[in-house]
This record gives sequence, structure tokens and C-alpha cells, in this order.
Amino acid sequence: MKNKKQKISGIFRQWLLVLVIVAFLATTVFLWVFQTQLSKNNAVQLLSLNISDVKEDIIDASDKNLLKLSYQIADELNKSENINSELLAELTQKYDVTEINCVNNAGIIIASTYPYFLNYDMRSGVQSAEFMVLLSGEKEYVQSYQPVSYDASISRKYGGVVLENGGFVQVGYGAERFQKDIDEFVIGVTHNRHVGENGSIIIVDEKGNIISDRYGNEGQNIGVTGICFDTSEVPERQNFTAKVYGESCFCMHQVTEGYHIFAVMPKIEAALSRNVSVCITTIMQLIVFASLFIVIFYLVKRLVVDNIYRVNESLSDITAGNLNTTVDVRSSIEFDALSNDINATVNTLKKYISEAEARIDAELAFAKAIQHSALPSVFPPYPNRNEFEISAAMYTAKEVGGDFYDFYFVDEDTLAFLVADVSGKGIPAAMFMMTSKTLLKSYAESGMDIEQVFTTANEKLCESNDAGMFVTVWMGFLDTKTGMISFVNAGHNPPVIKHIDGSVTTLKSRANFVLAGMEGIRYSKNEYQLEKGDVIYLYTDGVTEAMDIQNELYGESRLLDVLQKIENLDTRGICDEIKNDVDSFVGEVPQFDDITMLCFKFNGEGEAE
Amino acid sequence: MNINKAINERELIIALEGRLDTATAPELEAKLNQSLNGIEKLVFDFAALDYLSSAGLRVLLSAQKTMNKQGKMIVRNVNETISEIFEVTGFSNILTIE
Repeated sequence: MKNKKQKISGIFRQWLLVLVIVAFLATTVFLWVFQTQLSKNNAVQLLSLNISDVKEDIIDASDKNLLKLSYQIADELNKSENINSELLAELTQKYDVTEINCVNNAGIIIASTYPYFLNYDMRSGVQSAEFMVLLSGEKEYVQSYQPVSYDASISRKYGGVVLENGGFVQVGYGAERFQKDIDEFVIGVTHNRHVGENGSIIIVDEKGNIISDRYGNEGQNIGVTGICFDTSEVPERQNFTAKVYGESCFCMHQVTEGYHIFAVMPKIEAALSRNVSVCITTIMQLIVFASLFIVIFYLVKRLVVDNIYRVNESLSDITAGNLNTTVDVRSSIEFDALSNDINATVNTLKKYISEAEARIDAELAFAKAIQHSALPSVFPPYPNRNEFEISAAMYTAKEVGGDFYDFYFVDEDTLAFLVADVSGKGIPAAMFMMTSKTLLKSYAESGMDIEQVFTTANEKLCESNDAGMFVTVWMGFLDTKTGMISFVNAGHNPPVIKHIDGSVTTLKSRANFVLAGMEGIRYSKNEYQLEKGDVIYLYTDGVTEAMDIQNELYGESRLLDVLQKIENLDTRGICDEIKNDVDSFVGEVPQFDDITMLCFKFNGEGEAE
Repeated sequence: MNINKAINERELIIALEGRLDTATAPELEAKLNQSLNGIEKLVFDFAALDYLSSAGLRVLLSAQKTMNKQGKMIVRNVNETISEIFEVTGFSNILTIE
């Protein structure tokens, strides 16, 4: 799971890269398509322009040729007195034209090389009607090569010139006739003409034979160039593509004066401008997109990612427990607000924690006070009993613990005294201590044998002990008259006895299991005879396990040593002396565990009263 | 304290290093709560254990109680200090010490 997570900067870089590449490809493709279209349009426009030029040139040459003939024929007619069919036939022969018609002022043919044209009204055909301009002031008129009015299957070129005696003469001929005159001119048209760099013009006649071509293929069929001569498929002035001399070209054609003008331009040439412009813009784009990528990535990293890391650093410091850390990323309004919010949250948290701490401290202090007040605290407790002396002290650690001591008379001459230590710390241990203390006291006072006190208390404590706590207890019943102690040790440190001669021994006995540890345990007692002047010192492991700064334990041997050295002190003095020795051993190290001790001195009955 | 766990089918061996006291006992207790399910033999190896406090004893006692219901518990390689603690507290009466 952890491995699949990515850094924000990583994710951002990936997506930004994808985005930039997609944008780059899209614009490049768009540019390519757009430039292709543009270059094609330019090529087509160029073809169209060239065709128009050539067409103008041819029409111009053809018109001039016909008008020259028409003027010559009109001159002949003006000179002759009688215009008739014979004269016209003669002139037709002489000038090698196909048709001569004489038209009167009313627009009616009055003489013609074709007898059936006589009396034909020039207005009656669209093509022939155009010549009526000669009756309304024009001196000459020439038509392009086109189908004639009387028969659409015949194409002819007509010219007309006004006659001196009114009316006009109309001269017509077929394409072969005038082409003979202007072919030489037409050949020259293509030779010096370039369409773009390498494009050219090819002119063919109606049969598809090349009239003019830059490559000198005159006389051959258009097929040699590669253009398929079927102009019915492609309308005039519309571009088409064909392989011309082995090169893929944009082509266009136009028919004029019986000539087919083809303009061709290699596609490669048309594409050249596109390739150059796409190439340049692609390089520009690469630079723009790359810098865009770098700038955006750097900005996001600097403005967002780095700041997130800074916030995180502070946060992990806070999480680690240092609530005094503040988040201080102020580079933008958003991070400023985030920093303020986090700081405010931490401050609120700090406030709650200190309040809770104060409350807990107060409650713990209260619990400690209750715990202390449950223990006998007036010393000497029995001022009228001189046969023994007893002192006890409990020095609690900061945290509430489960140590306790206790002593009381169970009958006139039997003093019960004990020291105990509940496992664990805190309120649960303190509560368990109170229960244990109460149970032990009530069973002891009910007159039970000491073994029975333990066995019964153990059963009772086990009944309601879900937390699995236990308590170690050393308890003795002392006959104040004889100094005989009956005691049970339930898992507790054995007490130390300081004899009247100054020697010290530990009161070893077979240890019973701790109280409340397990049901069904039977506790057995031991007995010990105290001599007059013997001191018995009970303690919890808070004494022997007090630790100095090097983690060294105070230990039993130090305890025995100090007890041995003590001379002529009462029980209070012994307790104080040992506590002082422990304190000087641990030095500055804070007390970790409760220190509890009870000291009992047997004076013997002889001292009584 | 270091807790090294080794599970061999229904046998769990726990080797402890360092001090088992109030500060470290809760960690051991939590580990035991997780892993005792289905275990029939629990072995504690105390070869590297330096110190055992009453809080540690409480965890051992609770483990012993659990294992009484589902199998057995053995404590191994107990050093002198800890052996003394077991003696004094009477734990040697209820634990199986090898």
C-alpha cells in the first residue's frame, strides 16, 4: 500500500507532462492540417492565375488574327459594287475562312456563303444576337470560339466589322483554321512560363495532341505527360491531382479557343512552404511548451509542495509531542490561513491538556490524601503499651501507588502488623490497596487464624479481579507478652531483624504465592521468637529497588549495612535513617516507586508498666 | 526491552531482553493478547532478561491463567536475580520453570 503512494510533485509532473505532450501533438496536428490546406489553396490559386494569364494571351492572339482577316474581307467588300454569293465564295477561298455573312442595317443576312442563311435574323439566336452591337455604333466585334446558334454541335469563332454602305460583315472559321495561324504564338506561351518553381503549362488541341509543353513533347498525345485526357470528369477550373512526368502534382485545366490549357504544380513544391512553417512552429512550440512545463512545475513545487513539506515537518514535530512548535508558512494567503488554523488548534489542544492535567493532578492528590488517611498516622499509637514500640512511614512517588502498611490489635495481647505492595500503579492499584487492606483487617479482627485470614482474603480478592492485579503481603500476629510472631509471607520481601547484639538477619521463610493471584491457594504460616530488644524492619521493594543515576539499585546489602550501623535509635529514628540513606543514594533521580516501611521493636514484658 | 517472537504452529516462544517493568510490561501484555489465540504451548525465554518488576509478574500471571485454560506455559533460562524474585513472590509455586 505504501509503495503505491506517490509524491504530489510526482503525480503533478506526470499529468503536466501528459497534458503538455497532448497539447503539443494537438497543436502540431492542427497546424499540419491547416498548413496543408493553406498550401494547397495557394497552389490552386497559383494554377488558376497562370491559366487565366495564358487564356488571356491566347484569346488576345486569336481575336487579333480574326479581326485582321475581317478587316481585309470588309475592305474587299467595300470596294466591290455587287455583293453576292459568288464574291463571298471567292473571298472564302482567298482568305481560307469557313463562312462570310453580310448583314444589313435591319440585322438580316442578305448574303452568305451558305444560301440557307439568307434572310436569317441575327436577333433570333443568342450567339448571333451579340453582333447587333455593330448596328448601334461599335466598329468591330469578335466572339470567342463557341457553339454556333444554328447548330450547337458546331463550334466556330466569329468576328464582325462594320461596312461602309451600312450593315456589317461577319466572318467565321473553325478551330483548325485559326490555330494554324496562332500555334506558333501558343508554343511560345508555355516555354518561358513557370508555375511556381517547377510547375508548368501544357496546351493541347481538341484531339489531345500537345501543342506546347516546356519539355518539348509537341505533337505527341497528352498521355505521355501522365495526365489522363478525359476532361469531362473534371470541370474546368477545378483542381485535381495527377502524376505528371512521374511526379504527383496539383492540376487544373481550362478550355479556350479550342485549346485545353493544363497548369500543373508538383505537390512537393506546394508542401514545401507547409513543411517549413510547420517545422519552425514546431520548434517554437517545443520551446514554449518545455518552458511552460518547467515554469508551472517549478511554481507548483515552490508554492505548494515545498510548503506542504514545511507544514508537515512542523506537524510531525507537534505529533511527536512538542506542542510548542508553531507552523509558520506564510508564503501565500492559503498557507497563512492553514498555519494560523493549525496553530490555533494546537493552542486549544494545549489549553485542554493543561486543564485536564490540572484536573488529574488534583484528583490524584485527592486519591493520595485518601490513601494516606486510611493508614494509621499517629505515633506513638499506643502510648500506654511499653512492651513494644512501632513506627511506620510511606513516602509516595509522584504517581499514586499501591503500597500500604497497617497495624492493630486483634485481641488484648495480639498485635497484627503488615506491609503490602499492590502490583502496578495509579488509581486501580490504589483502589485495590484499599480493598485488600479492609479485607485483611476485617478477617484478622474477626478472630481468624492468620493462615485463614490469607486464604479467605485471597478467595475474596480473586472473585472480583478482572484486571489481574495482585498484592504481596507480609503480615505477622505478635503475642506482646511472649514476643512470638506467627506470620505469613505472601510473596513479599522478607523483613530484616536487628538483634540486640547489633547483628542483622533476614527473616527467611518459605514464600507463599501472592494474594489475589490465583484461586485455591492455601497459605501456610511460620513462627519466630523475638528476643527482648529485637527490632524487626518491614519494607516494600521501593526501598531496595530505589535507583541512582547510573540505574544501580539500592539493594538488600546496603539496607543490611545501614541497619547494622544504626545504634541506639528508636523505631522512628531507624525509619528516618534508612530513608535518608536511600535519599542520599539516589541523589537527584526522582522517586519512581512508593517507599513504605514499618519498624517494630520488642521491649519485652518486663518493661511493661 | 526487546520482545522476540517465534511461532511454530501451536507453540509460541517469546524471548525477552532488558527490563520487564512498569514501563515495558504493557507492551508485552498487548503482544500476548494478540498472539495467544490458539496457542497450546507458550515458552518464555528469560536468558537475556535483566530485571522483572511486579508489573511484569502481573503479565506473567495473566499469561499463566490464560495458558491454564488452553495448554501449558514454560519459563526457561531464568537467571539468579529473577529466580530469587520468583522465590520471594511465590511465583515459583505456580510457574513451570525449566
